[in-house]
Amino acid sequence: MKVTYFQQVPYRDLPDDFAKRYAESVITTPYFEVTSPDKVHSAFREALDEIMHAARAGFDAIAITEHGQSSYDMAPNPNILEAAAAYATEAEGIATGIYPLGRSLGKSREPLRAAEELAMLDAISGGRLIAGFPVGLAYDANVNNGVPPAETRLRFDENIELVLKAWTEHEVFPWNGRFHQHPAVNIWPRPLQQNPHPPVFVTGIGNPRTMEFCLNRGFGFNYFGWFGAKVTGRRIFDRFWDAANRLGKDNNPYQMGFMQTICVADTDAQAEKLFARHAEYFFQKAIGSIPMERLALPGGIDIKGLEFIFRDPGDFGIYAKMRQASFKELVEAGSVICGSPATVRAQISEFAREFRIGNLHAMLQFGSMPHELAKDNISLFGEQVLPHIQQIWTDEGWNHHWWPQVLGGVPHPAGRQASTENEAVTAR
Amino acid sequence: MSTTLTDRTVSTWNDRVTIRVRVGGDGPPLVYLHPSGGLAWDPFLDRLAEHYTIYAPEFPGTTPGDPYAIHQIDDLWDTVLIYEQTLRGLGLSAVPVVGQSFGGMLGAELAAAYPDLVSRLVLLDPIGLWRDDAPVANWIAAPPTELPGLLFADPTGDAAQAMFAMPEDPDALASAQAAMVWNLGATGKLCWPIPDRGLGKRLHRITAPTLVVWGEQDALISPAYAEEFRNRIADSRVEIIPKSGHIPQVEQTETTYTAVSAFLG
Repeated sequence: MKVTYFQQVPYRDLPDDFAKRYAESVITTPYFEVTSPDKVHSAFREALDEIMHAARAGFDAIAITEHGQSSYDMAPNPNILEAAAAYATEAEGIATGIYPLGRSLGKSREPLRAAEELAMLDAISGGRLIAGFPVGLAYDANVNNGVPPAETRLRFDENIELVLKAWTEHEVFPWNGRFHQHPAVNIWPRPLQQNPHPPVFVTGIGNPRTMEFCLNRGFGFNYFGWFGAKVTGRRIFDRFWDAANRLGKDNNPYQMGFMQTICVADTDAQAEKLFARHAEYFFQKAIGSIPMERLALPGGIDIKGLEFIFRDPGDFGIYAKMRQASFKELVEAGSVICGSPATVRAQISEFAREFRIGNLHAMLQFGSMPHELAKDNISLFGEQVLPHIQQIWTDEGWNHHWWPQVLGGVPHPAGRQASTENEAVTAR
Repeated sequence: MSTTLTDRTVSTWNDRVTIRVRVGGDGPPLVYLHPSGGLAWDPFLDRLAEHYTIYAPEFPGTTPGDPYAIHQIDDLWDTVLIYEQTLRGLGLSAVPVVGQSFGGMLGAELAAAYPDLVSRLVLLDPIGLWRDDAPVANWIAAPPTELPGLLFADPTGDAAQAMFAMPEDPDALASAQAAMVWNLGATGKLCWPIPDRGLGKRLHRITAPTLVVWGEQDALISPAYAEEFRNRIADSRVEIIPKSGHIPQVEQTETTYTAVSAFLG
C-alpha cells in the first residue's frame, strides 16, 4: 500500500467557544476577529515543517487539499505548498510523490492555469506528480467561486478534458468549449510524465457516477473518511467495487485511495490523553461546523442522487452529530483511528483489506494539534506503522498504475487515457 | 384546485427541448410564468382562470419526468429564445403575462426582448435587479428551515403551512423533496450566485403597461426594488400588498387578485 502524508493548514487557535459564537467554520467566519497574524504565519511554517518531517520519515507522497474561505484549512491552492515541498525534497534527494489532492476542476475558471501549475510541479519534482481533481465542494465551488451549482459537474467534465489534452497534445490546438475558448493551446512546460500523463485521482463522496467515470477513464478514486468509515465504508467501497465488477474492470486496490485521520502514541491510553481534545476540536469546529447547505446545494446533485439521499442519508455517516461529537463517538464511527502502534496497524490493515484500499492518506496533524505533537505523531507512525502497512497488497502482485514511474508506478496497459470525450466539452 | 388542466407541449430549440405548458381556464389567453421552485397551481390561478385561459409553461428541467432538459440551457439568452418560441408555438402574441419572482424576471426579459409579444405585464415580487444596499437573499443557499421566513410575512400562517406541506409516504416524500431541490437548481442556473443578468439595462425596452406588485414584508427581495422597476419601465405603476411576504398571491390572495384583475381590465 502507498501511504501518503496528508496535510491541511488549519488555524490552530480557534476560541474555545467557537461553536457558540460562530455559525460555521467556512465563508462567514470573521477572519480579523478570530486570527492573529503571527499565528497565521506559524500555521504555514508548521505545516511546511511537518510536510518535510513526513517526507524524511519515508512517506510515499505529500498529499494536500484545497479549500477557499475556510478556517479549518487555509490552503486555497495546494499547488503553492506542493511547489515548496517539490523543491525541498528535490534538494534533499527524497523520492516522495508530490500529490495535490485538490485542484477542484468544477470550481476552476482557469483550467489551463491548473494544467500549467501541475505541469510545473511535475517538472520541478522530476516527474513525481500525482494529480488529484475533486469535482468541488459546494461551498467552495459555488459560493466562494460563484459557479452555479448546476454547472459544477459540467465544468469539471470540460475542464478535465482540457487539462489532459493540454498536458499531452503535441500540436498546438484550439479549444472551443462550453465554458472556455482558447484559440491556441500549447502550454510550457508539459508534464515530464507522458506515458500517458501524470496519474489522476478524483475525490468523491459516494456518487456512483463519479465512481463509474473513474473506472471507465482509468483514473484513481479517493474517498475521505471523516464521516466515519466504520459507518460509511461498507456502503462506499462496496459501491465502487460493485461498479468495477459490473463494468468488467479489475479490482486493483491501487485504484482506491482513502484518507483517514490517525493518531498514535506508545499506548492506547496515552494516545487518547494526547490527542482526544485535538480530534474533538477538529471534528467539532472544522468539519462538523460546515452546515449541510454548504456541502450540498440545489443543482449540484443529480435528481436521482437527491432521491437516493433523501431516502437514505447513510453516506453522511456521523456528520449530523459531528458538531457535538465526543472523542469516543468519533473513534466508534471510525472518523479517527487512535491508539498504540499495534492498535493503529491492526485497524488500518483491517480497513485496507476489507475495502481493498491501496493508497492511504494519513492525516496526522489536524485541528489544534500543536507542532511538536504533530511531529511526534508523524515520527512514531513513520517508525512503527508505516513500514508494516506499506507491505499490504505486496502479496497479491498488482501493478500500481496510478503512481509515477520514477516512484515505482507501472503505466496502465490500456495506454493513453487522454482522448477527449466530446460530449463533455460542448453542447453545440 | 378547481381548474381543470390540460397539457400542451411545444417542441423548441431545434427539437432538443420540449416545453410542457399547463393550460386551464376560460376566456382570452394569459401567460403565467412560475417562480424558481416550479409550477404550483394555486387559488390565485384558479381565480384568474375564471376569466382567462391560462397558459403556464414549465421551465426546462422542472417538468416531472424530464429533468435533464436543463442541460440544454446555458444561459438567459437561450431561455428567452425558448420562451419566445414557445409562445409563438402556442399562437400567442400581444398576450398578458403574469410572472412571479423568477417568473417575473423571465416575463420582464421577454417583454424587453419582444415588446410585441406582451400586451400587459404583471410582475409579482420579481427578481432580476440588484442593489448592494438591499441585497437579495440567496434562497437557493438558504437552509430549508429559513425558507418559510424568507417567503412569508407570517411563516406559521396557513398559506406557509400549505406551501411546505409534504407527502407522508417515504418514497413520495423523497421524490417531492428531490424535485423541489432539483427545480431550484435548474432555475438557479439563471440566478446564481447573484440574480442579476443585466435586466436593468433592458427594462427600458418594455412598452407594455406594467403593474409591479410587491409584498410589503418581502424578506427575500426588498419592496425597495418596486421603485427600481417602476423607474425603468415607462408605463408602470406599483401596488404594495400589506401583510404579505414574497408571494402575495398566496399569502394575500384576495387583495392581490383584486389589484391584478383591476389592472388587466
